Amino acid sequence: MDPELMLLAAQSRIALAELAEASGLTRAELIELVEYGAFAPQGAAPEQWTFPAAALVQARVASRLRADFELEPASLALLLAYRERINELETLVRELECQLLR
Amino acid sequence: MKYKDYYAILGVAREASEAELKKAYRKLARKYHPDVSKEPGAEERFKELGEAYETLRDKEKRAAYDALGRHRPGQDFRPPPDWAQHFGAGGVEDLGGIDLSDLFASLGGGFGRARGFRGRAMPIPGEDFEVTVHLGLLEAARGTEVTLELAMREITPDGKILRRPRSVRARIPKGVTDGEKLRLRGKGGPGANGGPSGDLYLSIALHPHPLFRASGHDLYLEVPVTPWEAALGAQIEIPSLEGRLSLKIPPGSKAGQKLRVAGQGLPRPHGGAGDLYAMLSIAVPGTLSAREKELFEQLRAASGFDPRGHFAG
Repeated sequence: MDPELMLLAAQSRIALAELAEASGLTRAELIELVEYGAFAPQGAAPEQWTFPAAALVQARVASRLRADFELEPASLALLLAYRERINELETLVRELECQLLR
Repeated sequence: MKYKDYYAILGVAREASEAELKKAYRKLARKYHPDVSKEPGAEERFKELGEAYETLRDKEKRAAYDALGRHRPGQDFRPPPDWAQHFGAGGVEDLGGIDLSDLFASLGGGFGRARGFRGRAMPIPGEDFEVTVHLGLLEAARGTEVTLELAMREITPDGKILRRPRSVRARIPKGVTDGEKLRLRGKGGPGANGGPSGDLYLSIALHPHPLFRASGHDLYLEVPVTPWEAALGAQIEIPSLEGRLSLKIPPGSKAGQKLRVAGQGLPRPHGGAGDLYAMLSIAVPGTLSAREKELFEQLRAASGFDPRGHFAG
């Protein structure tokens, strides 16, 4: 696999600094989003935090929504939780559609 | 340069107040934001909205835009003489060949969202690109290489903004699934003043397959069987992604029953594979030969089977 390629559903993990750099959110915003439960990193302190690669997709969405709707972190965290729930339900709907006989 | 009517895009009058602009933008952004909208063409529409709002919300840029005069949307036009000097777009000399959005970005706003540049001497990161890549099921299973044509913004050392078409090749590893996101670091737009290149984000969309339906790495295949195969059991052949498979239909199988063939789904990127599910349907001949009809009538007379027995009482 190309060294610069990252599958964002994969098991690989990224650090806080990389998440901030790639998403456009600041370190402080990400820490606040973690406090509101939008992300659940592994590690005791921000310096040691690692996030699943999939968090990058969510963080980029958060970055766009924050910029485009001027949302503050608590609202963003709520929105991300709803979005995640919608994604889960859409996956379930797709799976059930696959099982329907035509 | 093609004219865009930013006021019309936002659906406001030219004399609209800041508050009216903001309200109009938010209302339309809510409708077309690609992260929340399911409207067709939402992404393009949202880009237009963002471009219009970014320009009109900034007093200086709005004055510069208004000074361009009024033209029909899409009409080729040139800014009035001295416009570039007056509004600080001195580095952008060839106004004929650039996009209106690049022109206003060069007036000190920002390239992209959070990656904005503030002043030309600072390192400017390249643009990130998000592209949907459409693949067939076999391409996703085996991995493939795609070539993407991207219009990349370049900032020359003397501050000129150009948008050049560039081909970017990306290797898609085997086993990607529908909706999967990939990040190709450094394969986005080039940075300027020593800024890093942007990233390229690919979103995978699988074409529908005539036989298989994919859910994650699992594949689903509708397998019609005859009433006697379902009742008596059978060994049948079914297609798989890479060939054919033998499948045992157990006696007494029902329509809608799901038979799992382990490891015959889409390969996973780091080894192993999803499963193939055969969804049984019972097919009945549309027309019966005289002999078939006779045999079915015999079966009806001989069988005590009542599939609706649970309705009684």
